[in-house]
Amino acid sequence: MTKKIIIEPITRIEGHGKVTIHLDDKGNVNQARLHITQVRGFEKFCEGRLFWEMPVITPRICGICPVSHHLASAKAGDAILGVELTPTAEMLRRLIHMAQFVQSHALHFFHLASPDFLFGMDADPAKRNIMGIIAEMPEIAKKGVKIRAFGQKIIAALGNTRVHPNAAVPGGMNKALSIDKRDEILNQVDDIIADCQFAVDLIKDYCIQHSEEAINFASFRTGYLGLVDTDGNVEYYDGTLRLKDSRGITLEDNVASKDYLSIIEEAVEDWSYLKFPYYKRLGYPAGIYRVGPLGRLNVADGCDTPLANKEFQNFKSLGSEGVVQPSLYYHYARLIEMLNAAEKIKLLAQDELICSKEIWVNSSKINEEGIGVIEAPRGTLFHHYWVDTSGKIRKVNLIVATGHNNLAMNRAVYEVAREFIKDGKVTEGILNRVEVAIRCYDPCLSCSTHALGQMPLEITIYESDGSIRQVLRS
Amino acid sequence: MRTLVLGIGNPILGDDGVGFHIAQELAKEIKDENIDVKDTSIGGLNLLELIVGYNKVIIIDAIMTQDGEAGEVYRLGPEDIGEPAQSTISAHHLNLLTTIKLGKKLFPKKMPGEVIVFAVNIQEVTEFTEEMTRKVREAIPKVVNLVLEGMVQ
Repeated sequence: MTKKIIIEPITRIEGHGKVTIHLDDKGNVNQARLHITQVRGFEKFCEGRLFWEMPVITPRICGICPVSHHLASAKAGDAILGVELTPTAEMLRRLIHMAQFVQSHALHFFHLASPDFLFGMDADPAKRNIMGIIAEMPEIAKKGVKIRAFGQKIIAALGNTRVHPNAAVPGGMNKALSIDKRDEILNQVDDIIADCQFAVDLIKDYCIQHSEEAINFASFRTGYLGLVDTDGNVEYYDGTLRLKDSRGITLEDNVASKDYLSIIEEAVEDWSYLKFPYYKRLGYPAGIYRVGPLGRLNVADGCDTPLANKEFQNFKSLGSEGVVQPSLYYHYARLIEMLNAAEKIKLLAQDELICSKEIWVNSSKINEEGIGVIEAPRGTLFHHYWVDTSGKIRKVNLIVATGHNNLAMNRAVYEVAREFIKDGKVTEGILNRVEVAIRCYDPCLSCSTHALGQMPLEITIYESDGSIRQVLRS
Repeated sequence: MRTLVLGIGNPILGDDGVGFHIAQELAKEIKDENIDVKDTSIGGLNLLELIVGYNKVIIIDAIMTQDGEAGEVYRLGPEDIGEPAQSTISAHHLNLLTTIKLGKKLFPKKMPGEVIVFAVNIQEVTEFTEEMTRKVREAIPKVVNLVLEGMVQ
């Protein structure tokens, strides 16, 4: 029979959102680590399945960012078939991708990040959350909901289901865009672009007013990686890889995404399931680089839409030597991308080919290998499949955005810890600030589906002799 | 009166798939035009769009408790799940109660008046597999019956 219980706050999966800080014998920070749980065995799970199934399987890796895995997987399938998409199929892929950007970035900013900015980082956590925003600034909360719903509606129009889409298949798309749905997008898009501009202005004001805080908070030098188009603009769906160093010097350019292994290697640490990718030529860990909004804007020369490009130029002026380093500027970069994505949705919807029914091409060819690379909202995503002659998966390699940023997030936590723990004294507010630092990167901490119950962030501080000094929980 | 029966779970993540499989079973049993049976692998705020517009929602999900045994079934209200996480370092941290509270503020007229959660205590979610552990698998018919009995009442 059923029994009624009250569930204590639980950590659903061991290690979820766990930070450890080790002090030296003077009570200063020696080492800080962010432990990220990764579900194991995905490669093995895929072995023997047909590559056709992968765009349906891979979105289940994550309940938060399924469209990204879906598209990267379909692109790897295109490469196995050796096909070039019809113009409409490619535009529809781009449309659903930009819709995912709009909804993901809106969710992150309005629901997760904005309370830190609108209430201040040291405000009472009981208020400093989305419920506080709804109570005190309902107009802002409503804009967030509206922008997000717009993205979700486009995903639903193309993907049959709202969150685990089956829109794309190797060789193209499953479903054309109806004229009605296209018109709905066009009717609403100007309003959404205006709301995205509003969000950019909000964060820009914050950055101007708090520039000192932004520059001094979790700021450190790294390289940056992202896709760019043929004009050097920020590119999300295709393009070539560009990598810059911490001084803004381009170290790699025009690298075909299928050649990613020529510039990236992955290190393994015994304390983390998640691997640590790094730039091969500089070695580990000197080859640290960042991906995601900050990475993309730092490697690019501009944005391909007018409003976003104006903001891009302003953003770039915040940095020296052509790159912007502080972690907090991730938020600014993210909202410029949201604006860029909304403008791109408008351009795609205005194209007369968008409603064409020519959305799929077949091929009898099966190449042994296929690589699909896209810029997911959180950063560069690689799907690499090896198949046998019948198209059955022999091997899979995935590098996800949170993996690329693994080294950087650890570094961000270290920087914050060093600021808040000095000579054995732990300053109040450390928990808040570690959260704020991690949140900049919008990590996918665990690709488990969902969670009943709480998932507090837990920080354990160890003395130099290995004994536990203090455990902090949010 | 419109009811949604929603099984949440990832069918390729071991025991986590239990809610998904229960929904699939229930879909075969329930033939009432006022009741929708759906399964989903999504989490967080995305659930909101699925439950808006229904009068009553029955959620079937997996849970991990500190002392519970695998396969145990709990009948919960949203208020039993724990206060919404104040810490939200990622979108994974928006839990069901946060989602419902948020919905009630944003769409007070569209939110279901009644939300019931059947939670199955699970054991193994560290590896991608379609296999569930035995006790969790055995809980499936039990929960199917509980939901069906609840409908008759």
